Amino acid sequence: MRTQTLDAFQVIADPSRRQMLMMLSKESMTINSLADNFDMSRPAVSKHIKILYGAGFISITDIGRERHCMLKQEGFNELQNFINFFDKFWLTKLRKLETILNNKAK
Amino acid sequence: MQKEIKHTFYFSQTPEEVWEYLTNPELMAQWLMPSDFKPLVGHHFRFTNPNNTFVVCEVLEVKPFTHLSYVWKNDWAVTKTPYTSKVSWTLTSIEGGTELFLVHSGFEVFKNLTDHNGGWMFLCNKLVELLKATK
Repeated sequence: MRTQTLDAFQVIADPSRRQMLMMLSKESMTINSLADNFDMSRPAVSKHIKILYGAGFISITDIGRERHCMLKQEGFNELQNFINFFDKFWLTKLRKLETILNNKAK
Repeated sequence: MQKEIKHTFYFSQTPEEVWEYLTNPELMAQWLMPSDFKPLVGHHFRFTNPNNTFVVCEVLEVKPFTHLSYVWKNDWAVTKTPYTSKVSWTLTSIEGGTELFLVHSGFEVFKNLTDHNGGWMFLCNKLVELLKATK
């Protein structure tokens, strides 16, 4: 199966993947135990896991014969960067407004 | 994790004067971006970014000299990552001038994450705990 590369927003746009992240936020889980909670085929679950993994939202560790999934920060960073971008954007713009109005007041 | 943006600025001008800079396209262009804004609820307008892409907007609230808000979306035609959000301005008359309060919030992408019980904040807090634990 081709590994899809999606950005962080496309990754969390899917309800099943959001649900998986929510479940993993409570505890790390094996792929099998995750799959038990979803009414979909194993290949479909694996595909979602692969996407979450590919975008850095989870890490996968092999313990014995089981594959354990755990939340990872990297995927969330892109979402934070998005907010940071606008934070900086508005700060820059408002400082410009401040300069204009300060000069006007003189 | 931060979900919204807030900034407070103080100006020596009156709310009426500051309001002009938030609602008159000619004055807005001096510090923000060129646009075809009109202070009318329901008015659709666009800000033009320096790279000629657009921010697609719609006026939501207009209370002269005190409150203004609009929808703030990116140009879905040119980006694969659509988002929608809300920009809200509040002006308060204070001694010696005006307090201007900006909130940029309602990012759809974060709202989606709070559909499920527990919510986005829970997820983020949990993540912080997990990362602390692994250090």
